[in-house]
Amino acid sequence: MIAVWYAIVSFMLITYVALDGRNFGAGMLHWFIAKTPEERRQVIAAIGPLWSWHEVWLVGFGGTLLAVFPRLLASAFAGYYLALFLILWGLILRGVSLEIGGHLNDRLWQSFWDFVFVFSNFLLAILFGAAAGNVARGVPLDAQGNFSMAFFTNFRTSGYVGLLDWYTVSIAVFALVILVAHGATYLTLKTEGPVHDRSATWARYLWLAVAPLFVAISIETFVVRPDLPGHAIYNPFWYLGLGLVAASIITLISGFSAQRERRAFVGSNFMLAGLLLTGAAAIFPVMLHSTLAPENSITAYNAAASANSLLFACIWWPVGFALATFYFVFISRRYAGKVSVIRDNQGFY
Amino acid sequence: MNSSLYDPAFWSRFQFAFTIVYHYLFPQLTMGLAWFLVYWKWRALRTGDEKYNRAAQFWAKIFGLNFAVGVVTGIPMEFQFGTNWSEFSKYAGGVIGQTLAMEGMFAFFLESAFIGVLIWGEKRLGPRCHFLAAVAVALGSWISGYFILVTNAFMQHPVAYQIEANGLLGITSLSSYLLNSWAWIQFAHNQMAALVTGAFVVSSVGSFYALRRIHSTQARLYLRSGTFMGLVASLLVAFPTGDQQAKMVGRHQPVTLAAMEGKFVGGPLAGVAVIGQPNIPQRRLENPIEVPGALSFLAYGTFQSYVQGLDEFPEDQWPDNIELLYYSFHLMITLGSLFVLLMMVANFQRWRGRLESSTWLLWVLMLAFPFPYIANTLGWMTAELGRQPWLIYGLFHTRDGYSKVVSNGDTIFTLIGFIGLYFVLGLLFLYLTGREIAHGPDQDVVAHAGEEVVS
Repeated sequence: MIAVWYAIVSFMLITYVALDGRNFGAGMLHWFIAKTPEERRQVIAAIGPLWSWHEVWLVGFGGTLLAVFPRLLASAFAGYYLALFLILWGLILRGVSLEIGGHLNDRLWQSFWDFVFVFSNFLLAILFGAAAGNVARGVPLDAQGNFSMAFFTNFRTSGYVGLLDWYTVSIAVFALVILVAHGATYLTLKTEGPVHDRSATWARYLWLAVAPLFVAISIETFVVRPDLPGHAIYNPFWYLGLGLVAASIITLISGFSAQRERRAFVGSNFMLAGLLLTGAAAIFPVMLHSTLAPENSITAYNAAASANSLLFACIWWPVGFALATFYFVFISRRYAGKVSVIRDNQGFY
Repeated sequence: MNSSLYDPAFWSRFQFAFTIVYHYLFPQLTMGLAWFLVYWKWRALRTGDEKYNRAAQFWAKIFGLNFAVGVVTGIPMEFQFGTNWSEFSKYAGGVIGQTLAMEGMFAFFLESAFIGVLIWGEKRLGPRCHFLAAVAVALGSWISGYFILVTNAFMQHPVAYQIEANGLLGITSLSSYLLNSWAWIQFAHNQMAALVTGAFVVSSVGSFYALRRIHSTQARLYLRSGTFMGLVASLLVAFPTGDQQAKMVGRHQPVTLAAMEGKFVGGPLAGVAVIGQPNIPQRRLENPIEVPGALSFLAYGTFQSYVQGLDEFPEDQWPDNIELLYYSFHLMITLGSLFVLLMMVANFQRWRGRLESSTWLLWVLMLAFPFPYIANTLGWMTAELGRQPWLIYGLFHTRDGYSKVVSNGDTIFTLIGFIGLYFVLGLLFLYLTGREIAHGPDQDVVAHAGEEVVS
């Protein structure tokens, strides 16, 4: 039961990253591939009506985490305190700039909100990347399962670590690149004209850049957590993750070479899902590793809520998920195809 | 909050209070306005009268702005359970997490999937689907409210729990938890209050246009819908929902009722103070003007009923800010009574066909819109201050719930951040909403001029 909930929670997080990741990526590229106001509107229209639908997956993930792994949520949210508030503020700025930027047909107004939009997406991509690095590396959990972490300490990866060190920074850089690649692939699918062509070029180069970075962070992870691979090889889901990564490489290459944009974007989503699944399977059942003493680590088993809580969650979660799938199908049909600046525009240009 | 400024619980409470009060300014209008949109869309479908569609289109823009600010200010709330109240999350997460997660799965997914359709999708979907999108968003916002109120009801009146072997709370029955009697009554009371806010805002804009003598058809519609709903909702918010809410507090939290009413000494024939300032050190109400027996009657059904006073409870069970609790409750009641009065007069004038020519009444209606926001806030302050010193009533103290690893420096830093960010957000919201209202419902062509430019 606990393992099932570990899988469900991981699935929700992966869904969030795949859905909102495209917005982070497209948002960061916004400045570089959209040169005229019309082109910028194209990018915004590709993200616009759906950003809150994507963002609520994070809320769904947070709520579910509280219901089934309360101890993990309590420890992690209090421990990552400042980083988490930066994420929250980033999300506020991102949402506001999307919603408000289009309300005035004024160049200064829109340039300002464009800047806020790009900036907040950069901030979010880096923070989420660093957070992933922190989960892999571990945090200084004490015997009570609490920790409090500075932004940085000595940039080393053991003992009293900080949020940022050489390892988590490199994971953040990797996250940044792969999310931009994901966003560029999404924009290739959703746009036409110059934005489409520039996105396609960016996507190709970025995915090429992901490959060496992936090798680099794999080696780094092995250095930081030498115990992980020996553990991962006994988890069938780890192989599933690797399989997904391999399949997505093929899909991406074939999608780009055949100019099948939908295929490429599917590959891009599977790549993110595969990488995160590999990570989730490798650390299982530990959810938050202690850099001080392994026995302090928070695992799915010692963080889970009572058996009843998990059981009751098994009643409503599938219903909620079935409804979400229905909405997803509805939305995908309604917003299928290239965006039209006239029909799908955000706000009231 | 009688504790020193070095107390981490004080700062975490302050931060939560600030962010939740600010946040709730937006969902109350969302929940109140949503049914106006549904009603107008429905009338447009049935009658084919263009004025209903125009009204729905105009208010959907304000709804969209309001909704967006509600979303971005709401997400921090859920995370603050973990960041600043981690001991509470650890203790009760297995119970309250159920409804917080269900809110995400059943309400937010529904709302966020259809809000885009509601605001931008009319051309693509056609009127019938567009009407359904309005219903979906309205339902989503009320479902969301229900799950939050179940969560709050558990903190006010815990049910369906047991203390597990590890000392943390576990849930024993999902249905009893979701059907907590406190949740139903509080939900009814709260939703009526949200409708009051919606009705006052709609009436206010109607009065503004009527006074300026512009958009007269729309002004008449807003005044008609707004004052009708305003009367119904402000009556319902007082009776039976508010009345039941107060009785429930008397039943489950007698010490809270005593503090809300400034009752230091118990007895039969307990009165309701119309005016009076609580003086805690001297244990008395200063300058009281009381209606004798009213409290006994309202809380327990007869004038002779015995109402417990604060003196019958140990002081460590008293709410820790009795003055603020007392004023919140009394001001809420005063405002609620004035709302009923104002809406009765407005409906009477409308019935006589004189509402649009009653300049003074239009002025009052136009300027009245902030007061339901204040009354809603005061109601929640009554509920939450009245719950003190408990985080979960009778089970878990507020002073045990905050995050031990978070320093005051961290909490104050993030509090300052929120104050700054929300100040800017408030300015933007007021500016853009004011701009939409100034544009008005008839200026559709101008508001959408950009489309022609783009195409």
